[in-house]
Amino acid sequence: MTSDATIHRLLTGVPGLDEVLGGGLPEFSFNLIAGQPGSGKTTLAHQIMFALATPERPAIYFTVLGEPPLKMLRYQQQFDFFDSEAINRSIRFINLSEEAVDGDLDRVLRRIVDEVTRHSPALVFVDSFRSVVVASQTHEARPSNLQHFVQQLGMWLTSWQATTFLLGEYFTESDANPVFTVADGLIWMRQSVQRNSMVRKIEILKMRGQAPLSGLHSFRLDSAGIRVFVPANAVAATVRDAIPALADVRLTMGVAGLDEMLGGGLPRGYSLLVAGPSGSGKSNLAAAFLAEGVRCGETGVIAPFEQDPHRSRDRTVANLIESGHVGFVDMKSLDVSIDEVLVLLLNEIRRLKATRVVIDSLSGFELALAPTYRDDFRESLSRLVTSLATVGVSVLMTTELEDRYTDLRFSPYGTAFMTDAIIVQRYIEVESRLRRVMAVVKVRASAHSDQLREFSIDAGGIRIGQMLADQEGLLGGRPTRKPAALQAPAAPSDAHG
Amino acid sequence: MQSQERDRIAAFLDGAVDAGASSQEVAALVAATFRRVHQALVPIVGERGMAALYKRSLHLSRPMHPWLAGAAEGSADGAAADAEFAVDLTSLTAALATRSSAEAASAGTQLLDCFRALLTTLIGETLTERLLRPVWVTLLSGAYARDTKS
Repeated sequence: MTSDATIHRLLTGVPGLDEVLGGGLPEFSFNLIAGQPGSGKTTLAHQIMFALATPERPAIYFTVLGEPPLKMLRYQQQFDFFDSEAINRSIRFINLSEEAVDGDLDRVLRRIVDEVTRHSPALVFVDSFRSVVVASQTHEARPSNLQHFVQQLGMWLTSWQATTFLLGEYFTESDANPVFTVADGLIWMRQSVQRNSMVRKIEILKMRGQAPLSGLHSFRLDSAGIRVFVPANAVAATVRDAIPALADVRLTMGVAGLDEMLGGGLPRGYSLLVAGPSGSGKSNLAAAFLAEGVRCGETGVIAPFEQDPHRSRDRTVANLIESGHVGFVDMKSLDVSIDEVLVLLLNEIRRLKATRVVIDSLSGFELALAPTYRDDFRESLSRLVTSLATVGVSVLMTTELEDRYTDLRFSPYGTAFMTDAIIVQRYIEVESRLRRVMAVVKVRASAHSDQLREFSIDAGGIRIGQMLADQEGLLGGRPTRKPAALQAPAAPSDAHG
Repeated sequence: MQSQERDRIAAFLDGAVDAGASSQEVAALVAATFRRVHQALVPIVGERGMAALYKRSLHLSRPMHPWLAGAAEGSADGAAADAEFAVDLTSLTAALATRSSAEAASAGTQLLDCFRALLTTLIGETLTERLLRPVWVTLLSGAYARDTKS
């Protein structure tokens, strides 16, 4: 009969971190949080500590040389998670500067062991470990000293049933640092600056006994603390289970005549790209799509990158948001990552059990991204569309498309291939007037209309009119009247293409 | 800069004066209070962190009580190299003991409240209150007689 050790996992309380860690932090593990100054190590440590520490599971936070403790407390208390009442009750701060000042690692170790023995903390933090290392180098040139220190510390704290975090700066990955060998977990925090934007990322280089999500995960640091953005595909699966599974039906679009053009509405779960020049009515179509969903008892989510729906002259979307049927992903902060947008979208989708999603527009979305993410926009967008498809929602994305009358293009990013359906809107000149036409270019695995239909926009929204059957050369932008003998009957036939 | 804590410190020290405490006894009460503050803070901010706050409080209190300069300069035998970085309560007690008991109580109140206010500007009201709570609870709740005759 075998009975393996059970490794309990602690949930860190940092949104997204547990998923990235592969299911929380193993209890009694010995972890290293590394990163440059300002990368968020101390904040991460505090956030974890305030989330986990209780009088029954107390924490000790050792401050060594480096940031003066008063200053650390001054800044950390600005975060929402900081709770003064927890201090000296479930959280104890202990300053080791006197022990560390002459670089005697044995003295530092002795004091840590003393305090740990006395208080039996379940969580131990040493901030910063670098100052211990530097102090030891000025002391005596004993290369084994540091390794000895780390091994002793790791052994003692694990035996004392404490989950430990060493915070350190300036570690380099290539460095054969003894700490790396001893540590059960390596959490690396990075920040990169490109032009005027700063992007923060976290990477789990090692986490013994479990499978962390590999790669760099972007995170945000604001007054609520740290929020890690879990890769889209990992989140999508959990959201899929949360929203209602619906039969394989087609969605109505809320614009009379358009469902017929699409071959009977938009198949559920499809992504639809609405491309057209500025002012052609893409946002109107998106608003109609959401409103129609609400009319049918569905809910939706919109990510408006172009205009704040509350300030838009068209009140349709604002009213839907106010009614609570449509969620709204606030995109006022710039320098976002695709994963961040997707996580926010998925959270709203989950909250509202939404089935219709609008991204208005991809051009605005691209601008909102931090420059470092723009390079692989196409790839990221494809990931976003795939993830939303996994969830099973139907997505309408708008994209600005400059009218070009010499060639026929549907999307600026080569996005056409990744969407299931495409509607194109264009301006044409007829009898000295600028008029609009719309056509369904593609509906994957479905018959659809091949008609170019004129449409107009009034207070009631989009009204689809007739084919301009007496004109030809519409896509050239300057159609000419066909000779009378060749004119076909103008009545819409809804012939499927 | 009137505060609830200042009132409590003043009531405590003035109470001792009213009960007939000598300036030496008032000085001992002030020193004892600072020792409790020291106990509460040194583990967190370190010996030097505590000393820096104490020296700053002395400095800020000097305009009102210029004779506190003696407490800041250190005792005659304070030849230790680290004198700058230590809280020298011997010098403080000596300086307070040279004044009248009412004056010593007033300066002690000023100094303790100044220290509290300084900490508040750095780490905020809530956390300061949290860290110094044991000081006020154990020292200021009891009457003078019980504390000093022990």
